[in-house]
Amino acid sequence: MPERLPSVLELFRITHNYGSVTALNGIDLALHRGEFCALLGSNGAGKTTLLKILANLVRPTEGTINWQDKFPERHQIGYVSHRSMLYEELTGLENLLFFAGLYGLDLPIQRADQLCDQFGLSDSKVYKVAGYSRGMRQRLTLARALLHEPKVLLLDEPFTGLDQHGYRALTTILKNLKSQQRTVMMATHNLQKGFELGSRMLILDSGRLVYDVERETISMGELEAAYFGNIRQEVAG
Amino acid sequence: MRVVGQIWTMTAKDLILTARSRHSFLTTLFFGLLILVIFNFAFQPGVEATRLSLPGILWVALLFPGIIQLNNSFQREQEQGTLQAILLSPVDRGALFLSKCLSNWIFLICIDMFILLAFTLLFNLRVTPRFFMIVPIILVASAGFTAVGTLFAAMVVSLRAREVVFPVLLFSIIIPIILAAVSATQELLLREQLEYLGNWIQILVAFDVIFLSAGFLVFEYVVVE
Repeated sequence: MPERLPSVLELFRITHNYGSVTALNGIDLALHRGEFCALLGSNGAGKTTLLKILANLVRPTEGTINWQDKFPERHQIGYVSHRSMLYEELTGLENLLFFAGLYGLDLPIQRADQLCDQFGLSDSKVYKVAGYSRGMRQRLTLARALLHEPKVLLLDEPFTGLDQHGYRALTTILKNLKSQQRTVMMATHNLQKGFELGSRMLILDSGRLVYDVERETISMGELEAAYFGNIRQEVAG
Repeated sequence: MRVVGQIWTMTAKDLILTARSRHSFLTTLFFGLLILVIFNFAFQPGVEATRLSLPGILWVALLFPGIIQLNNSFQREQEQGTLQAILLSPVDRGALFLSKCLSNWIFLICIDMFILLAFTLLFNLRVTPRFFMIVPIILVASAGFTAVGTLFAAMVVSLRAREVVFPVLLFSIIIPIILAAVSATQELLLREQLEYLGNWIQILVAFDVIFLSAGFLVFEYVVVE
């Protein structure tokens, strides 16, 4: 098993309730630098709630999150959901410049141009987002999330609604991110994609973390068995 | 200084979006003008009863269209997910509130000036230097209306029945603003002496300060789940 780098953040007994429904139930988890965690689970397992708590968009009902770095946590997080989170009436470049302004970047135009080049949006950056394809929007969303070079990138079903070209382009971008020592947590229903990209497999079921292994220690078949086995046990239990 | 920069960045973005999607401006303006036209048909110009009702007519035409803009101000952000994107950034939540207030206020003031012009023409009012004192009353009253409206719009944005809940909440809280604004306008349009005008404006300013401060302080708890 490869040695883990120091942890970036640690979750202690995170619980979250929506009224009488428990979305997360006592999650203990440490994320380490350079890790690509695939967060697997069925609908309603609590994946999105966990990501939103990490992103500081939702306050947990109980439990604490400890960041190892004293730097304010909102500077350390990039978040991508299946929604584009972009202004349709602004151009791609204007969207990036707006968010660069909110993060207080020193050289916003240069950074936005650099990301547009990196994500193949140089030609389309001057057009309104309303005219973008789903794949282009998702690439721009990733560019927005990476503007401030966050240490932790949270991805919530980033492949939803993408065509084959968009799917392949996004896979390539995420593979490149793996080489940047950035901590990534990607929630997905797609076991194959999670196994292909992830270095650590996490399975959530009914708000509990029921499986946590290094990718290198298991095969795809074992992951499938663990996934269906854990969820079936949980439903039956 | 950083907060001022954030407020300006978000306000500028809102104003650009409003300018590019002109339909919200035109719809809101049309609604205000329609109210004036209906009142103009209902009340006969030149009759004493109409003259006495003028301040009330003006404030109905100024405030009611504002509901459309205020109700939409967070709805579009919520639908596109951009509110979450802003909340992810290290923006002060109070700065987000103030920027929304500022962009909503600028929008409503632009609408209000057109409505005031139409009001003057439709009800055949004499434009004297004293008449223009109505402008500062509109500026101050709109600020309080916008502050309360922006705060409640953020509170109800996730509710399914927000179109119903929002105006009920809003108008129940802004009754002091409506009373003070109508009374100040009565002084200007109907009375010879401006005896209490200063007092009414002071009440409006106090209301603005209270709701802008309250919104700035509590907005964090309004927007985070």
